[in-house]
Parts: sequence; structure tokens; C-alpha cells
Amino acid sequence: MNPLRFTRRNLLRGGLAATAAYPLLEADKAKGQTASPTRLIVFTTPNGTRNALYWPTSDLTLPSITKPLEPYKQKLSFLKGIRLNDQLQNGSLGGMLGSEHARGTGGMLTARPLNAGTEFVSFGNTTSGWGSGQSLDQYLVGRLAPPNLFTSFQMGVHVRDTQVRARIAYTGNNQPIPPREDPNDVFSALFAGATAGTPGSSGGASDAALARLWAQRQSVFDLTNAETTRVMGIVGSADKAKLQAFQDSMRDVETRLVQMPSMGSGGSGSMPATACMAPTFVEPDLTVDTQYAQAGQIQMDLAVAALQCDLTRILTFQWSYSESEHLFQFLNNIQGNHHAISHDFSSSGVNYDAYNAIQTWYASQFAYFLGKLDAIDEGDGTLLDHSVVLWATEIGESTQHDLTLMPYIFAGSAGGKFKTGRLLDWSNNRQDNNQMLVTLAHLMGADDLASFGDPSGKTGPLPDLM
Amino acid sequence: MRRTWAPLSIGLVVAFVAGCSSNGGSNGPAANSGGSGPNGSGSGATPGSSGSSGTQGGSSGGSGNNATGGTGNSSSGGTGTSGASGSAGGTAVNCTTTELEPTPLRRLTKFEYANTVRDLLKVDPSPTSDMPADEVSNGYDNDSGVLTVSSLHAEKYVLVSETLAHTAVQNLSALTTCDTTKMGEDACAQAFAKSFGRRAFRRPTTANDEQMLMTAYQAGKNGGSYQEGIEVMIRAALQSPDFIYRLETTTPADAKAALVPLSQFELATRLSYMIWATGPDDALLDTAQNDGLSTKDQVAAKAREMLKDDRAKLGLANFFNQWSGVTRLAITTKNTDLFPSFSDDLRNAMAAELPAFLQYVLFQGDHTLHTLLTKPVAFVSGPLGQLYGIANAPTGSSPTMVDLPDAQQRSGLLTQAGFLSVQAHPDQTSPVLRGKFVRTMLLCDPPPPPPADVNISVPPSSAGNTARERFSSHAQGSCQSCHSAMDPIGFAFENFDAMGQYRTTENGETIDASGVINGADDASLGGNFVGVRELAEKLASSSQVNDCVAKQWFRYASGRLEAEPDVCSLQNMQSSFSSKNGDLIELVVAMTQTDDFWYRAPVTL
Repeated sequence: MNPLRFTRRNLLRGGLAATAAYPLLEADKAKGQTASPTRLIVFTTPNGTRNALYWPTSDLTLPSITKPLEPYKQKLSFLKGIRLNDQLQNGSLGGMLGSEHARGTGGMLTARPLNAGTEFVSFGNTTSGWGSGQSLDQYLVGRLAPPNLFTSFQMGVHVRDTQVRARIAYTGNNQPIPPREDPNDVFSALFAGATAGTPGSSGGASDAALARLWAQRQSVFDLTNAETTRVMGIVGSADKAKLQAFQDSMRDVETRLVQMPSMGSGGSGSMPATACMAPTFVEPDLTVDTQYAQAGQIQMDLAVAALQCDLTRILTFQWSYSESEHLFQFLNNIQGNHHAISHDFSSSGVNYDAYNAIQTWYASQFAYFLGKLDAIDEGDGTLLDHSVVLWATEIGESTQHDLTLMPYIFAGSAGGKFKTGRLLDWSNNRQDNNQMLVTLAHLMGADDLASFGDPSGKTGPLPDLM
Repeated sequence: MRRTWAPLSIGLVVAFVAGCSSNGGSNGPAANSGGSGPNGSGSGATPGSSGSSGTQGGSSGGSGNNATGGTGNSSSGGTGTSGASGSAGGTAVNCTTTELEPTPLRRLTKFEYANTVRDLLKVDPSPTSDMPADEVSNGYDNDSGVLTVSSLHAEKYVLVSETLAHTAVQNLSALTTCDTTKMGEDACAQAFAKSFGRRAFRRPTTANDEQMLMTAYQAGKNGGSYQEGIEVMIRAALQSPDFIYRLETTTPADAKAALVPLSQFELATRLSYMIWATGPDDALLDTAQNDGLSTKDQVAAKAREMLKDDRAKLGLANFFNQWSGVTRLAITTKNTDLFPSFSDDLRNAMAAELPAFLQYVLFQGDHTLHTLLTKPVAFVSGPLGQLYGIANAPTGSSPTMVDLPDAQQRSGLLTQAGFLSVQAHPDQTSPVLRGKFVRTMLLCDPPPPPPADVNISVPPSSAGNTARERFSSHAQGSCQSCHSAMDPIGFAFENFDAMGQYRTTENGETIDASGVINGADDASLGGNFVGVRELAEKLASSSQVNDCVAKQWFRYASGRLEAEPDVCSLQNMQSSFSSKNGDLIELVVAMTQTDDFWYRAPVTL
């Protein structure tokens, strides 16, 4: 669906519906909370890194892969020396471990091992069971109950895969959340979702028709809710949990699909003065690897708009799937696939150069994203300043499927909660990824969280950061 | 252009070691086809006493029908099954299910949802392409364990149902013939709630259901119209858990019963989704209502009848597409410099071939696994015939059957370009992937993981030699133990490049397509062979492959991996499949005769 099909009026109406939460941001400030809300963004790229080309020196001299981050390095924190916890490294839940790519993906934000599944698979097959617990982003949704239209938002670029290695967000055990990969779908959800399906129309709904739609939706939601409760009473406990998830999800969308926005006088006059803008774009061909950059940029622009409009404060952004075989012919005419290239041990040659180029390209995408966030002035700092952005990948040193030195970078300071422009080096005193997640929780305001994820991991936040 | 991505679907599967012993049961005719199934009373069957075991039309040795905890060769694992003695004439597997694996609540897959609304509403189901693709576990996208409803799913359930309902009521007469001028609008709506509700919920409606649907109707009718009322009623039905999930709750849970019989409506629903990948139609629901699914014979007959319906073609293709991995064609990319002819047209033609081939094998031919793996015919459309080297090949848009020329040594599914493209990397072939497919999906004997810290990069194909030479390092040291299970099978595929084009040389060197299956349980699989034709011939005649394919069907049909309590059901299917000479249609029927199909585990409320 082309965004142009939305009339100006409809776009505004959808936008209004979607930005109904926006005044909350203003309201926060009015209540004396001068600080802008803190946002959590998780930005992932696949297939690890090469340590020698990634980590800066203590004076932040950046090697090739991280060089594109130079303009923002004073707002970065390089977290060197974090490992996945023991259970993710060596343990299993009754099955086999699963590949490092799968474990590093399913454990990235859960810090929990994968469920027992079948067994190891690599190269495009299912590996093991799914993630065995809630991911931190979803924990924070429950804990903080963000007042936004989307309590969290999951996006992806050419993820395509639907296996364990392609999901990082989990509502709970065995409950992965798929990312939105189609820019038109993202646009529609963020800026026009409330007008879809208007009876008797294909877009230009009147106020009365919208009000009627919302009332009907409310009626159906109520019926579904009651019926779900009834059915939960006649099934076993495992099925009850599934239906509970269904009910929770329906409730979650109910709040935004039946919401009557405070439209003020109606029309554009009620848009906040610092109006966020829905980006315009031409939908790329999502099936073609050569249009990766275009698809990625549109998705990043939409993600930034979602954050700027305060439509969500918790956002995950996934490039491809882990163990990705994405092609980069558009970059230096690289012929091999990313995963194969990532495993070449040689310290020079075609694959060495290609891997370096691909990782550097991903860093430049991250730099673009940071640049957009940093260009948004929120009064007492930029949107980037008010965020903590984790750049992560599922494994460490790519040739070895390493899980003991994870390439993690924080960008932003969560509203000045910690000092940036640093390399924190725990190489000789490794920290567990559980601690990194606890740190994120603290930065987001859940500052009494003592531990997160599998108990084999260390508790508390990362030392020395805050 | 917008294209919908199909879910990725291939996976490795665990080798399940049967814990139930059986004697001489592997060569006889199908188990449970006699009159010893559940009685006409349907729900009155006593668990463990009559529903499952191997009396076969009186040919049993007499004690094959043991009660729970029966005597005989009890299973080594001690749970779930008990062996029973006697299986005269090599008829049935003497195995009695005494306990069942919990049967988790199944949500409709995206594919099932689309088919169901197509049939229910008589609309084009394309709006369902907005729904997220289903997660794939163990090769299949219908694993009940992981099919959850996230907020994204919930959003789509609401919005998609609105679009579908709106489209459907534009042609209201296709949904209901009730004459509102005679009957009155509300009476027609009430009648629709009953008839539509039964189809949507796959069981007779209750007063509660009808009240729910009528409340929705009023929300559309009041201030609106009858048509809008029906529209909102349809939305409510499609958003109900009774529609989105395949609820099996009719029989009150009884914690004392080890095997809880399903209602006939629930059996009809299992039949329908397994064979048609869509909900039961009115005729099938009528059969259930009229007590027509009360015995195993009745269900077998109904299954055979359903297998003749066009919907079965779609339903069974869904299994084979996923089993072979061909579903992944939709998300398969190839390096456009190396494979410039891998166009959308060609990819579509590849994707169209397997369903057409299946239609030939399963619905016109002899239905056998042997034919599926060895028949040297192709179904070509667009540019596919040219890829196969067929002179004057049809290039139309619908697949046309042609004989494959001998020159390319192709035969059956394993040499189809779609399969070969999926089982390869975007830039080159993968003897490992192809060997692993055979090992995993045909032998059910997947290799273990590579050790960490090994260089598992695929060597560049520009090294001036063949894949066999490039992968020679796999035959050494720690790699050898696992790769010897995969690579020597995969090398037999090397005459086909990463998009399935035939070749005899690589980088100027002649390809050696000889292969060997190392360490298979079935000794008949041993010995050297050359090329995929000889490999396919070996596989098609193997008892290990027979049992593995039956196990794959069990996983797909059950929406989960097998577990120990399933061993009797599984063995019965394997034995039946073997006795019917690998008849894939009869394999579908065999699933309907298992305890796993007839019962569910008790639950604690």
C-alpha cells in the first residue's frame, strides 16, 4: 500500500489518533518533570565482529569497523568484557545447546538459554527450542507501563527468517515477537492505523464514521475478552497461559484501536507545535538484497519519527537475522554471503576485506541512525541524549562463534545518567550479559531491579558505568 | 511491487528412539483398520480398552487389545505405552497407548487462517498477507508450542478481520439466503449467527455464542444497517478465541481418564486442518453431527473421501513444501552476478513445480514415496523448461508435465530446481546443506553440531577446483566425524549448481558425483553410488527413510515433536506406511487411526 493513498486529512486524523499520547510528553514537563522521557533502543546487526577492527583504544581511537561512529564517539560507551552467562555458554534445558548464533540471539535480551528443541542446526535450519524467558524490553513494558500508543515497537530490515535466530524480543517463555519489516506496515501502524477498516469507506472516513468504528471495536473487544475468560476456565494450565497471552495482546491493541484522540478543535491545529513528521518514502522491493540500504534507511527514518512523536519509548531494530547470508554486491561488489565471509580465519585477502567492509557499512548505518536522533532537539538535550541505544550482535569474534567478549556499545546517556565517551574495559574481569540488561533497566527507571535472566549470571548492574 | 514473504521452513529434527518394543509388526497390513475402534457411542470409548491396539479384523493373535497397563513387552521408558502380546500374521504393531503427550492448544497458522476465511467468507484471502509469518520450529510452521499471539498478531486479527468482513458483506447473498423482507432482519441475523457460528467455531453454537454474535450484530445494526450488523458479527467471530484457536474442550476434562476421547466435531476439525489446511465445511460438520465419525473405519473412509477433494492438494502440498524446504524459495536470494537468470519468473516457476508434481504423484499416480523420489518428469512453466534442457519446452504460466531428458540425470523431488536452489547458499552450492537435508528429513538422523572455534567458512568457488576438493578439509581431524555423515551424500548433488542448473564441470574440472551414505541404521543404504538418481533409488527403497517420512508427517500433523507416549501411534503409522509400499495417501489415513489422533491427554483445570 502506497502511503500516498492516505489523504492529507486522513493522515492527519490517523496521525492525531496515533499521537494522542504525545501531549503526555508535554504534560510530563508541565508537571515539573523537566527531563524528557528516556528511551530504550536496541539496534542489532548480524554475524559478530572482529575484535581487532572493532574496539577502540582507551583514548577512543577508533579502528576501521567503528570508525564511522567518530562524530558521535563522545556520546558512546564501549562496553568491552561482557560475556554471555554460564547457562548460555554451556548449559541447556534438556536438549542440546543450539548454535551460538541461535543462543546469542535468543539470549541477547533474555539472558536465558534456549528451550530444549531438537538439536543443533546451522546454515539455514532450525536449531533448537525458542527463548525461555521474557526479554528485557518486554519486562520494562510491564514494569514501566509506558503511556505511549505502542508500549514497545519491533522493527526489522530484511529479517525474512522466522526461526530462533531471527527473534530477539520475547513476551515470555516460547513467545517471540516478530518484527515489522514492511515500511508501509510500519507507516500505517504509526500514522494511520486508527483509520483502517472504516466501514463503508476506503480511507476518507468522517468523524462520525470513525467514532462508530471505535464503538464497534470496543463492543467486539468486550465480547472477545469475555469469551476468552470463559474458555480459560475450561482448559488446562498450559493452554490457559496461551489464552492469557492472547487476551493480554488483544487488550494491548484495544487501547490504541478504540482510542478517541483528544482532537481539540480538530484539524491540524491540534498537532503539537513541535510536530513530528511522518516521513515520506517510496517502498523498496523488499525481496531484493541490493535494496538493503534503501529499506534500512526508510525503516530508520520511521523509527526515529516514532520516537520523536513519542509513539513509543521502547524500540528494537533488527538488521537481517543472525547467521545472515545476506549479499552485499552493492558494497564493493562483494560476491560471497555475509555468514560465509564472517568465518574466514585469514588476516588478509578477499574475505577479510569484505567482512571489514560489511561491518563498517553496518556501523555507518548505526551512525546514520544516531545522527538522526542527535539532530532532534528536545530542549534540554537531543533525543539521542535522552536515550540509551544498545548496538549488539549475537556473537563476538565471528570466526569462532565466540560468546565471551560481546561487542556491545551504548549510545546516549539516558538523560545524563552516566558519563559517556569512554571505553569501559572488563577484559580481565568479565561481566555477564545479565548485568548489562540490569543496567539498561536501571537507566530506564527500574532502578531497583537486582537481577535479570538466568540465575547462573551475575547480579546487579555493570560496575563503574553509573 | 509488494511480495509476501512465506515463512522459512526447514529444520533439523531429533532422532527419536522408540521406547516401545514391538514384535514382527513392521511388515503387516495397517493396524487398526478393523472393527475394533471406538464404538458407535463416540465419547463412550474406554481409554486403553478399545481404541487403539492392533486387532486387525480378527486376525490378531487374540490378546492385542489390552487394557491400560497391559501385559507383554512393556516399553523400555515405562511411560506412555505398554506392549501387548500377539500380533499374528505380522499384522499390527502390538503396542497400546496408555498415556498421551499433552496436546497443546493450536492456533491457526497464517496459511490455515487464510484458507479458512476464504472458505468461510467466500472472499479473496489476500488481506491476510498483512499478518506476520509464523515461526518455524523443526522444519514446520505449525508448532503449537511457539505459535503465540503477540500484540502484532492481535493488531492484525482486528484489522484483517475488518477488511475481510467488509469485503464479504458486499456480496451478502453468498453468505446467507435469508430473506429479510419475509423473515425480518433480526430473525435472519439470528439464523446467520447459528449457521455462520457453527462454521466459524467448527461446532454447533451454544446460546452463549449466539448471544455474543447477536450483540456484535446490534453494534452494527443500531444506527447502521442489517448489512453492517452482519459485518460486525463476522468481525466478532473472527476475533474470537473459538475461531483463532482449535479448541478441544467439548468433553469435560476428567483427570482420571488417561485418554480423553475427542468429540466428533473435534475429530472433524483435526481431519480438516490436517488434510485440507482449512476448517471443516458444512458437509463435514453434518457428518460429525450425524454420528458419522464414531468409528475408526468411518474416519478412515471420510479421510479417503476428503483426500479426493481439491482442498487436499493444497493441504498436502503445504506439508511437502515445508518438509523439502521449498517454501523457502520465497525468501531465497541468489547472487545476481553469478546467477543472472535467477529471476522472479524462474523462482515462481520453481515454486509452482512441486505442487504440480505432487498433484501428479499423489492424486493421479501411485501415491508412493518411491515415485516422489525417482520419477523422471518435470512440471515446467516460464523459463524452467530451458533450465532443464528440454527442447521446445512449454513456457506457459501453468506447469506442464514433460519427460526429463536423460542427459541431466534428473529424477524426482531431489533434482527439482526449487529444492536444489533452497538447499544451497546464495553464492554457491552446499554439499553440507544437501547432505544434511537427506540426513535430517529423510533419515531422521541429524548430525551433531560443529565444535566451536573451527573455521567453517565455505571456501570461495574461485579456488579453481571442485567443491569436493574444497571441502576436503572436512574429511580430516575433528570435522570428519560429523561431516562424513553429510558431505559424502551432498557430493552426489554436485552436478547441480546453486540454482539447480546441470553442470558436468566446475572451474574447468570434471565433477565427481559419487557418494556414499555413511553410518546409516539401515544397512541397505550402504555402498557407493553416483549421482542423485542412484541416491534417490536407494533412499526410496529404505525402511529407514520409510519410517522417517512417517515421523515427519506425524510431526506436521500433530503440530509438535513426538514424545515417548506417542511411540505406539508412531509405530503404527510407520508399519502401515511400510505395508502399503510407501503409499503417501495411505500414510495420511494411517494418522487418523492412531490414538494420538483420537484422544487428547487429560488436563487439570
